[in-house]
Amino acid sequence: MPQFLKDFFNRNGTGMGVAILGLVMFWTIGLIILPQLSMLDFSFRPNLPPPEIGGPKDVYTLENYKYLIYGPEGGSQDYNTVDLRVFFRTLVAAVFVTVFNLIICYPIAYYLGQAEGSHIRIFAIMLIIPYWINEILRAFALRIIFGETGVLNTLFTGLGIWDTPFDFIRNDIALYAGLGYAYILLMIFPMYNVIESLDKNQIEAARDLGAPWWRIHWRVVIPYAKPGISSGCTMVFMLSAGALAAPQILGGPSSLWFTQLIYQQFNDNNDWPQGAAYAIVLLVTCILFVLAMMRLFKVNMGDIGK
Amino acid sequence: MNNSFLRISIWVYLAIFFLYLLGPLVIMSITAFNSSGFPRMSPWECLTFQWFGELFQDQRILNGIKNSLIIGIGTVILSVAMGLAGALMLTQIWPKLRATYYTVIIAPILIPGVVLGISTLVFWDRINRMLGLGADSFLSNGIFLTVIGQSTFIASYCMLVLVARLQRYDVALTEAALDLGASHAQAFRKILLPFMRPAIASAAVLAFLASFENYNTTTFTFGEYPTLTIELAQKVRYGITPAISALAFIIVALTVFFALLNEAKLKRQELVAAARKNATVEELAGKIKLPSFFTGNIAAVLLVAFAVVTITVIGTAATYSPAQCIADVREQKQLEAEQRIQELRKQREERRKQQEAEKAGQGDAQTAPKPSNNSGFGNVFAPNSLDGSENESNEGASETESEPSNNSGFGGVFDPNSLKSD
Repeated sequence: MPQFLKDFFNRNGTGMGVAILGLVMFWTIGLIILPQLSMLDFSFRPNLPPPEIGGPKDVYTLENYKYLIYGPEGGSQDYNTVDLRVFFRTLVAAVFVTVFNLIICYPIAYYLGQAEGSHIRIFAIMLIIPYWINEILRAFALRIIFGETGVLNTLFTGLGIWDTPFDFIRNDIALYAGLGYAYILLMIFPMYNVIESLDKNQIEAARDLGAPWWRIHWRVVIPYAKPGISSGCTMVFMLSAGALAAPQILGGPSSLWFTQLIYQQFNDNNDWPQGAAYAIVLLVTCILFVLAMMRLFKVNMGDIGK
Repeated sequence: MNNSFLRISIWVYLAIFFLYLLGPLVIMSITAFNSSGFPRMSPWECLTFQWFGELFQDQRILNGIKNSLIIGIGTVILSVAMGLAGALMLTQIWPKLRATYYTVIIAPILIPGVVLGISTLVFWDRINRMLGLGADSFLSNGIFLTVIGQSTFIASYCMLVLVARLQRYDVALTEAALDLGASHAQAFRKILLPFMRPAIASAAVLAFLASFENYNTTTFTFGEYPTLTIELAQKVRYGITPAISALAFIIVALTVFFALLNEAKLKRQELVAAARKNATVEELAGKIKLPSFFTGNIAAVLLVAFAVVTITVIGTAATYSPAQCIADVREQKQLEAEQRIQELRKQREERRKQQEAEKAGQGDAQTAPKPSNNSGFGNVFAPNSLDGSENESNEGASETESEPSNNSGFGGVFDPNSLKSD
């Protein structure tokens, strides 16, 4: 037995040590690592009926990944333009949602982090309450607002600003508003946590030295809040790229989200390996994108999740 | 930059921001009381409580709540246990492994829920096959899979909550207990667990809420046990009714209630502590004169106001009957609808004449009668309104119809637009 294991059991006792180690092993290996590896393995296999699994036809193949790029074999097009377009649109839209959230949340996080007074607590409660409401219901609420006879359309046609109802859903405005709405809290809290610990004297000093307010933010607050900003952005990006409920409820009929394609492969086409391959592509691309962004903005991995 | 201008713009910004955050919830809650068959604020028809009655008669919703509770409890137990073990491990793991270990246990928070659901499904399906078990075995049971799938990432949340408190724990306490002859299990149960209790409580609440509202992971794993969220999603996707608003209203009300309760309790503790600090020794020795529950406690005041409103609403609901109002509205609508049909008929007549005049030159008119299913009235008025018309004029008519049709008493059920976006 290696020394650190011996120490571990000495410190915790045999019974407790086994319990802790067992739970941690079950979680990390049984629930996190093995299922992901299993999915990776599964994505390289053909879609076979259950009796043939493990049989001679069950060999590794790149077919599922080829399908995403080239489409069905003998198809009319050279590339699988439909799925690829959905994929890139999802990524671009997720970036857009992240930037949108960052812009609207930064002032709030700064205000909550720096202002004093008992009303801050009330604001915090008001921030948390929407987050406790079901994701589906939040999307449903936005659907009531953005629908063809929804609140906004009734309001604007009533005021005579536009004549015919504007189709927010078909134009994806409802979707972006819904995704932004869903993850606001995940953007605010990491930023708030960091900004709260910023010493007010630093801002005072910058102001005394004559810096205009935008330069104080640019040179003092933002560099200090960078870990919070990056973990907020990472979470919002990953979650909105992987969102399923909001696109299903608020998405227009012609615009799919990549997760909806995965869902279709599993539930409608019953093609699990294909769905697994799509899921792997989504996961790997998102992780690579986040890592690239972190390198670009010079953020450490250890800062995330603080 | 003027200072007062900056301050005003901050307040305006805060107002807009919280309007965006809370407005949708308020509007959704209000629609639960409108008798219109489609959840909406305007036109306001009648104040009604019928949607709550409908909600409680919906077997699927009730069944969903039951499944959600079972899965929630299972998830809380599993993820708090794993989170605590994970946190304990993090504080004493071999330093070289620490970064890797941290990345592994924090990763599930960032992995999209869809991916977690799929990997859980695929992995346990494979284990099930390897063990040679049938399709109805325990390992492919919807409740088991959902608990496992959700716990994968909820345990990470619990771990973060628990580790924050664990870092303030003095290991010397455990050592002292051990020196005094306690076993490791005793030291854990009597020393560490009581210290961790507040964090364990908040981790459990967090885990339950996260489990209750999870959709992305559950949608792949639920099998034959749909949770409330799954049932809601099905309902919202295939036609929406104010009964969902009613459920939302209940959830919003409960959330606000517990948030205020928690806040009032915290505030009270603070006030009590402040009073103790200021009190003289005699006061402390004798009766401590606590500040009244309300003084300086906004949350408590709000809480009481909230309770009063709730009781009033429930009281009204028991006696109030909107039947007369609903009948009036329906009658009015019928009149309106008939009027509209007359207008449409006239329009159609005119259009047909025009087209006939146009097509007279071409001499090739399509006159085959065609029943229209495009009408927003869902065929109810079809027999007397559509006496056979051409494709083109039909389309034109349904376009003009589709907006007013939403005012009909038949609500969104027959509204083709409500399905279009699915």
